Amino acid sequence: MNEVKKKEITLTIDGKKIKSEWGKTILEVARENGIYIPTMCYLSKVEPIASCRMCVVEVEGVDGMILSCQEKAVDGANITTSNDALFRERQKIMELYDVNHPLECGVCDKSGECDLQNKTLEYGVDAQEFAAKDQHRPMQNWGFVSYDPSLCIMCERCVRVCNEIVGDEALQISVGGYKSTIINVKQDEDCAECGECMAVCPVGALVSTDFKYTSNAWELDKIPASCVHCSSHCQLYYDVKHTSIDSPEPKIYRVTNDFEFSSLCGAGRFGYDFENRTATKESNKLKEAVEAFKRADTIRFSSMITNEEALLLQKIAKSVDARLVCDDAIGYQKFMKAYSSVSGKSLYGATLDTLKKSQMVVILGTRVYDDAPMVKYAITSAVKREKAQVVYLHPIEDNRIQNLVTQFIKYEVGSEEGVVSLLADTLIKKDGLDKSIKSLLDSLDIGYLSAESNVSEEELEQLKAKMWKRKRFTLVVGEDLYNHPEVENIARFIALIEKYSDFDLIAIPPASNTLGVSLICELDESASGYIVGYNAPGDYTLSALGDGDIDMPSLNQQEGTFVSIDKRVVPTHPALPYSGYELLDIAKELGESSEYIIEFTPSLPTKKGFKSINFDDLPDYFDVTGKSHRGYELDMVECESGSLPSEPQEIDSYDGTIVYRCNSGRAFNPFTSKCEQLKENEVTLRGSAQFAIAAKLSDGDSVKFTIDGIDYQRVFSIDTSLKGTIALNPIFDIGLSSFALSSYRFTKVKIEKTGQ
Amino acid sequence: MSLEEFKNRNVGEQNYRLVDVGQTPQTGMEKFEQVVKRAVKLELFTGLKVTFREMFKALFGGQMHTTKYPFEKLPIAPRYRAIHEMKRLLESGHYRCIGCGLCEKICIANCIRMDTRYDENQRKEVSEYTINFGRCIFCGYCAEVCPELAIVHGGRYETASEQRASYSTFEDMLTPLDQLAQQSEFPGFGAVSDDADKKIKKTPLAY
Repeated sequence: MNEVKKKEITLTIDGKKIKSEWGKTILEVARENGIYIPTMCYLSKVEPIASCRMCVVEVEGVDGMILSCQEKAVDGANITTSNDALFRERQKIMELYDVNHPLECGVCDKSGECDLQNKTLEYGVDAQEFAAKDQHRPMQNWGFVSYDPSLCIMCERCVRVCNEIVGDEALQISVGGYKSTIINVKQDEDCAECGECMAVCPVGALVSTDFKYTSNAWELDKIPASCVHCSSHCQLYYDVKHTSIDSPEPKIYRVTNDFEFSSLCGAGRFGYDFENRTATKESNKLKEAVEAFKRADTIRFSSMITNEEALLLQKIAKSVDARLVCDDAIGYQKFMKAYSSVSGKSLYGATLDTLKKSQMVVILGTRVYDDAPMVKYAITSAVKREKAQVVYLHPIEDNRIQNLVTQFIKYEVGSEEGVVSLLADTLIKKDGLDKSIKSLLDSLDIGYLSAESNVSEEELEQLKAKMWKRKRFTLVVGEDLYNHPEVENIARFIALIEKYSDFDLIAIPPASNTLGVSLICELDESASGYIVGYNAPGDYTLSALGDGDIDMPSLNQQEGTFVSIDKRVVPTHPALPYSGYELLDIAKELGESSEYIIEFTPSLPTKKGFKSINFDDLPDYFDVTGKSHRGYELDMVECESGSLPSEPQEIDSYDGTIVYRCNSGRAFNPFTSKCEQLKENEVTLRGSAQFAIAAKLSDGDSVKFTIDGIDYQRVFSIDTSLKGTIALNPIFDIGLSSFALSSYRFTKVKIEKTGQ
Repeated sequence: MSLEEFKNRNVGEQNYRLVDVGQTPQTGMEKFEQVVKRAVKLELFTGLKVTFREMFKALFGGQMHTTKYPFEKLPIAPRYRAIHEMKRLLESGHYRCIGCGLCEKICIANCIRMDTRYDENQRKEVSEYTINFGRCIFCGYCAEVCPELAIVHGGRYETASEQRASYSTFEDMLTPLDQLAQQSEFPGFGAVSDDADKKIKKTPLAY
């Protein structure tokens, strides 16, 4: 995908000669060159809203004033961004904004970081010259977010992010002149409750219900960090202050982010208080831990870990001669190894940024809404801006992304291998293809495969037809494939698709730092003997949840790096103090000489694409154009290639009641379920009405079942948005055991009814 | 003593007059003569007479000039800056503080802290408020910055205490509800200026 070289233009802004390229707006060009144009409604990550008119400029030879946020810069233009007339225009706009705006800055949460406050002072508005009859505007509580319409200035930013970035389409404008307000049409249903709307609100109209009135903006220290819950590792700040007058202990009050350029999901924004507070330093416990490691046959860990600690574990495992097991990363590692053996590359090709710009997206093997919110956000951007076609292949249809998906292809549970071979046959361009690959594709028994997987040839034809006249294709694959018994063959087919078609691949890492772990560690398949579990079950457990044999710091108390889905190594910083021992203390007892964990950052394996850069030299910011300078990008390393997929195995049929392992919404792992705002009192097994009939259950029944040796006790609830005979079983409430699951996500189970 | 009296407390109407002290002796002989004169004329007793007269006046005439602190206290200036007072709204009796946090921010001794929360009436409530009087330097910035004239200085200047808590708590600083009628504005730091009314800009009404 070569970007077409854009035409260069030269223009003058405020007497300064500027070179830029065609296609950018005047505002973008000005900002890139450090020229200030005031705005109120403009938000870099969405299309220009053009509701405030603060960004007006004068262009020589053009009558009147021009909106710089949406007007393209043209060659030879002479632009003035500030003069008396423009100042008066902007001052009048601010006067209108201030009409009847409640004078409650003293208590408003936004005070101190409020755009309206800043601009009102900037334009010296100290009196109200206009008047309008004030409306009755009662406060509204939307759950996580509270809306105060009387503070709202109707800039529409929240509506835009909700539609253009999140894709939830929950917020709308109720148009009515001066009576206009924002309404939440999904208040009672399935608004994602991501809090994006309140992050972009320039005034105090949308605020967090939990945070409201607890602290002033200027009291909070912003600690830059990366979100730990999923593989997107979004940029965020933990806003920290002392807990109360009585307790000087720092506490995280809220999470903010550079909302101009990056976004967060609900888990990232509201799931911040998962720190381990109870830890203490007791030397006999440390001794016990050291003994346990010395004795260990297997060290099992979860991929909610920093790269540095993963490397340290690798070292420890070598020194005590133990096997290293990471159940949530092993499938992914197998997938990536098999992928590399065909594609010859260590990493997949696409990133979230290229996904945002693609015109066609095929999603396979992931319930993307729940598994990876940021991928869903990126797909939303692709749909809204590039008019992308989205094909969603999954055994369960997802009503919540109906507005994004243009074609849903349902396949049978367990038939992923058949589906990817069919996709390979459909998408790979046959002309000029290597003979061996051609013969492989020709030998596929299309009839059998489509019959068994339930994906018809017509559906595939339809999929192919969508590619017509489109550019930039992305294939998104997820966790269902990594834990499939035939993961290697699936990966080879997928690598083949990426290599011989226009599609670029994103393989969503299933847990937080799975990609990092799969690159750094040499993992063994299964645990045996005496198991030491680091945030995973074992005979001796080290737990950041505070329920193990020794406490460990949680990820908001640690320094280190993660590898994100964008193949970037991003830094994170500790927001809260930690009073116990950490892994390095144990390693020191075992002979490690490093003083701090971040000393490992430059020694991450360069053979896998890591760079030898010190932790303190890692940048962590977005520049004025929105380009990310967070950490560094992994190098793409050439691998040995040449292996080919084999013909798909016979497909097992999955009949009866099937349960799909799937956390939902803002629950990702035991850490999010520890958070005050994300706690759920009742964990439910959700199924369709059809499932209820098949399993002889009714709404509200208590049920019991066993998967992978873990007993689940759940309340069954009928979810009318679901169809078919597959129920969704969340695992965020089962503690560390949820980090030791590497089986296929769909399981046939016998569900026992235990009560009403 | 009223305010007016207080202000004039050092200005008397005693009919001051100049005393003729004569010539300063120049030569040795003159000095000797002065010494002999003073010794023989017993001027010392003139001074002692005045002292005894004043002593009798004080002890038996009821004209004592000593203030018997701490049993007696002199009134202090109305703009004196001692232990803070928290004012209440006259109408409702609710404390004026809205929890804006400006005093906390501006305090250069960093001795003010407050906890706020969202209360049942959808308002910001100050759930706890403390001033560490061990650190306070009584600069008056908090009173000056307060937008509600809620925190002001008062006249309680005796702050010696064994425990920090007994300096003063939020409840101590608040005007007692039964004395709400006697609550007066603080004329010092933070007070509205005399011409405040003239500075107010009027908002047009549309209806």
